[in-house]
Amino acid sequence: MLDTFEILTTSGVVLWSRTYAHVSPSVVNNFIADVFIEEKSAVVGAKDGASAAANPLYKYDQHTLRWTFEKELGIIFVAVYRSLLHLSWIDKLVDNIRAIFVSLYGDQLKKPNTTIVECLKFDEYFDQQLHELEQTGGKLDRSEVRAFEDEADSEILGKEPPAPAGLIQRSQPQDDTLDSSPVATPSASRPSTPAVNHLVVAKAGPVAKMSRRARKGQNTNSGLVSSGDEGSARKSKAKAAKRGRKWDADGFADEDDDVQLDYSAPNAVTSDSEAEAAGRPGAVEEVDASTWGSNTKGKFVLRDLGDEVHSILASAGAKNGIEKPGSPAGLVGSGLSAISGLFRNVVGGKVLTKEDLDKAMKGMEEHLLKKNVAREAAVRLCDGVEKELIGVKTGNFESIDTRIRKAMEASLTKMLTPTSSLDLLRDIDSITAPPVTSLRKARPYVMSIVGVNGVGKSTNLSKICFFLLQNKYKVLIAAGDTFRSGAVEQLAVHVRNLKELTAREGGKVELYQKGYGKDAATVAKDAVAFAAQEGFDVVLIDTAGRRHNDQRLMSSLEKFAKFAQPDKILMVGEALVGTDSVAQARNFNAAFGSGRSLDGFIISKCDTVGDMVGTLVSIVHATNVPVLFVGVGQHYSDLRNFSVKWGVEKLLSSN
Amino acid sequence: MAALDTLKAFFEASLKPSPTVFVIGFAFVLLFPILLHFLVTQKSAYTTLPSVLLVGPSGAGKTALLTLFERGPLAPAPSEKPTSTAPASPTPTHTSQAPAAVELAVSSDGTSSFRDDLDATGTTAKRFLLIDTPGHAKLRRLALSHLSPAKPSTSPTSSYSATPKSKLKGLVFVLDAAALADGDGLPATAAYLYDVLLALQKRASGAKGSKPPPAIPVLIAANKLDLFTALPAALVKSNLEAELGRIRKTRSRGLLDSGVGADDDVAGAGEGDDWLGEYGSDKFSFKQMLEFDIEVEVIGGSVVGDGPGADRWWKWIGQRI
Repeated sequence: MLDTFEILTTSGVVLWSRTYAHVSPSVVNNFIADVFIEEKSAVVGAKDGASAAANPLYKYDQHTLRWTFEKELGIIFVAVYRSLLHLSWIDKLVDNIRAIFVSLYGDQLKKPNTTIVECLKFDEYFDQQLHELEQTGGKLDRSEVRAFEDEADSEILGKEPPAPAGLIQRSQPQDDTLDSSPVATPSASRPSTPAVNHLVVAKAGPVAKMSRRARKGQNTNSGLVSSGDEGSARKSKAKAAKRGRKWDADGFADEDDDVQLDYSAPNAVTSDSEAEAAGRPGAVEEVDASTWGSNTKGKFVLRDLGDEVHSILASAGAKNGIEKPGSPAGLVGSGLSAISGLFRNVVGGKVLTKEDLDKAMKGMEEHLLKKNVAREAAVRLCDGVEKELIGVKTGNFESIDTRIRKAMEASLTKMLTPTSSLDLLRDIDSITAPPVTSLRKARPYVMSIVGVNGVGKSTNLSKICFFLLQNKYKVLIAAGDTFRSGAVEQLAVHVRNLKELTAREGGKVELYQKGYGKDAATVAKDAVAFAAQEGFDVVLIDTAGRRHNDQRLMSSLEKFAKFAQPDKILMVGEALVGTDSVAQARNFNAAFGSGRSLDGFIISKCDTVGDMVGTLVSIVHATNVPVLFVGVGQHYSDLRNFSVKWGVEKLLSSN
Repeated sequence: MAALDTLKAFFEASLKPSPTVFVIGFAFVLLFPILLHFLVTQKSAYTTLPSVLLVGPSGAGKTALLTLFERGPLAPAPSEKPTSTAPASPTPTHTSQAPAAVELAVSSDGTSSFRDDLDATGTTAKRFLLIDTPGHAKLRRLALSHLSPAKPSTSPTSSYSATPKSKLKGLVFVLDAAALADGDGLPATAAYLYDVLLALQKRASGAKGSKPPPAIPVLIAANKLDLFTALPAALVKSNLEAELGRIRKTRSRGLLDSGVGADDDVAGAGEGDDWLGEYGSDKFSFKQMLEFDIEVEVIGGSVVGDGPGADRWWKWIGQRI
C-alpha cells in the first residue's frame, strides 16, 4: 500500500501530505539531495514536466519513490511506498494529482513572499483519485483473487459499506463484462489478505489467473470434449478459439462445426486489455468509463467530486494536446511575433522557448567540447541548462546568450562544488589528535594515490608530502609500486630532496620500502603498522599505475583498500586526457569494492592545457567525487587547492 | 472647417507670449519633476523591505523556523486529519533547493510576538522579509551571494535577486545543537559559519569610500534544544569558537587556491585577508568580530517540541528591524 504522498515546494515546505504509514523524513530528504541537488541519477533531461512514469524510480532503504516535478511552480509530487509492493497505478496517481493540484492551487503558488497555500480541501480530491485508480488498477489483480474466493463469502462481503480509502481497494464491480454475466459475482476483496494482490508472489498458475467465469467456461468445455485434461484446454485456448466437436456414429470427431463453445478467450482478452489500458499513464478516458458504472453501488458522495476531477484532468490533457502542434497564426501574426522576438532579444523580457534556445545551446555545447569536456558531460550540462531555461523570462537588456551563460555558470558551479568540506589539514588533525571527548585513539592518517600510468602519481605524492612537511607533520612514504623498475628509487630521490628542503622547518619524512615483486597490499599494510609504531602522523602510499580497463590489475585495488584502510584515496588524472577521463574515473571509482569509492581527484598538468580544463568537468560528472587539488607546475610548491570559481571562469572564457 | 479653425486658434493662442501661457508653462515645469519624484520614491519604498537572512547547514531547521514564524505554532499541518492527535505539530519540511522569502511584520517597538495578528490589533507594524536559503553544501553560494559586497546581478536565479542587499538588517545562523555533540556535526557547521563570517568581514573591510556598508548583526540560533542530547547555548558558543579557531589555523596553513598566482602572493595584499577576526590572535572569540562591526550573539531555542521555543529569536529579529 501507499505509505506517504507528499506535495512539497523546492524551498522545502510540505504543502500537502497524506501519511498511511510512518516514513522517516530522511527518505524524502535523501531523495531531494540525490536527485535534485547532486543529480546523481544521470537522466537530468527527464526531470521537469515529465510524467512520473518517465522519471526514474528512486529507491532508498526499502522504500521506492515515484515522483514528478512541476518546474514552473517549483513543486515536487512524491509517492512513497514499500519496495516490496508492486503498484502499477502509482505513476498515474502522481500524474493525476499533479494535474489537479496545479489547476486548483496554481494561482496561490505564484504569490510572492509567502509559503502558505490553503489546500485543506485537497484531501477529498486525493481520496477520490486514490479510490478510482485503485479500482481500475486492481482489475487484473482482482480476477486473480477471485479465483480463490468462495462465492458465499464474497456475497456477504460485497454488502459491506465502503471503508475509508486506503484500507480496501475495490468494493464495487467494475467490469461491464462481469456485470452482465448471469452468475452473481459481486466482487470484493478478501479482507484477511488485503495485500495479496499487490505482493509480488509466485503466480498461482494460469488457471487461477483466469476469472472465475472464464474458468467455469473452461470446465464446461473440458467436460464436453471429455479430454478431462486442463492442460490441453489451456493449450488450445492459447492456439485458437475452441471449436465445438460433434461425434459421429463411427466415433470420429467432426470439427468443422462453427459453434463456439469457448467463451473464455474473448472475455479474457477484453479484461486483460482493459486492465492494461488502465495501468498505463494518461488513460484518462478509461477512468471515466469505469466511474459511470460505479454509482450503482452507492458512491454518491464521491460522484460530484469525480466529475470535477475528470473535467480538470480532461482540460489538462487537452492543454497538453494543444501545446504540442503549436499555433501558427497566419502570415501577419508570425511576422509580428518574429519582429517582437528580435526586439525582445535585444531589450530582454523574452520568454524563452525551445526553438530560441536550440541554436544557442548548440553553440554552448561546441564551446564546452572545445574546452576538452567529454561529450557525455557536455550534453548533460546543456540538457540541464536547456530544461532549466525553457519558459524563463530574460531580464532587462539581457540577450539569450548572456542568460545561457549565466545559467551554465550556475550549473557548473553547482556541479563542481563539493558536498562536504575538503580541508585536508583539518581531517588529518582530527585523526592524529582526536578531541579528548571522543573515544577514538590517535593513529596515523593514511592517504593513497592511484591512477593510470604516467599521469604523475609519484610527483603529486611528493608535492602533497612537501605541503604536509611545511605544516610540520611526520610523514612516511610507502613505496607501493613494487612492479615498475625504478619506481622505488624515484621515490627515494624525492624523499632525499624533501628532507633537504624541509630540514629547517621541522618536518620529518622517511621512505618505507620492501623492494620489488612483493604484494603491494601487504607492503601498504605493513607500512601503516610501522607508522603507528614509530609515531608518524601521515602515511602516503604510492601505487603502481594501471590501465583502467584491465580487470586483472584493477581487481587488486579492492584488496589494497581492504588491507591498508586508507582514510583518503585520491586519483590522479591528467588534464591532457580527453574523453577517456570519464571511463578512467568511473572504473577507478568502482574498483575499491562496494563499500569504498574515491575521495577526491588531483588534476595534474593543468599548466599545460591553458583554458582547456574540461577534464575537471568530465570526471566530476562521471563520479560525483570532488576535485581536491590541481597541479600547476613542476615545483614541489606547485600544488593548489581547486577553486571552483577559477575553474568555471576558465571553462567559460572565450578565446 | 470649424474644427480646423478652432485648432488653429488654439495653437496661435498657445504660442503667443500671453500671461496665461506663461503661468501654465511655469506650473508644468515646476510640478512635473515633483510628481515624477513622488511616483518613483513611492514605488521603491514599497519594494525594498528590510530583510533578514536565514542561513545554516542542511537539517538545522531553517525552513521549519520560517514556517513557524509565518504560520504560528498552533496552525495544524494541512495534512493533519481531524482525528489525529498532536495539533501543535509544525508544518513538515524537507531539504530546500531554492531560497524562499516570506513577508512578516513586527510591531514598531519590536515587542510583539510572532503569534500576534498585527492586522487585527491595529498596531503600527514594520514589515520585513525573512529569506530562507538552502543549506546543502552545493547550494550555499545562493546564501553567500547575498553577502558579497559588489556585483548584485551575479545571482543566477533572478526570482529572488530583487531583494537589494543594502537592506539586509540581520543574519540568523541556525544550527542543530544536538548534532554539534557528535564528531562530524561540529566541523561541518563551523566550516559554514566560518565562510559566512568571513564573507561578512570582507564586506565590512573591503568597502571603499567614505560610507561603510551598514553593519549586519549575526544571531547564532542554537536550534533543537528540546532534545536531550542538545548542547546548551553557552557550550555551543565555546565549542564553535574553539572550532572556528582551529579552522582558521588550518586554512592559513593550507595551499593556495588555484588561479592565485605566486606573484599575487608576493604582493602581500592578501596578508590577513582570509583571517577571520583579529589578525595573529591565538584564540578566536566572537568578540573579535566587533572590530568589523559584526555583533554575534548565541541564543538557544527550539522550533518544535516543548523546549524554550523561538520567542527570543523573534525578539532579536524584531529589535534589529
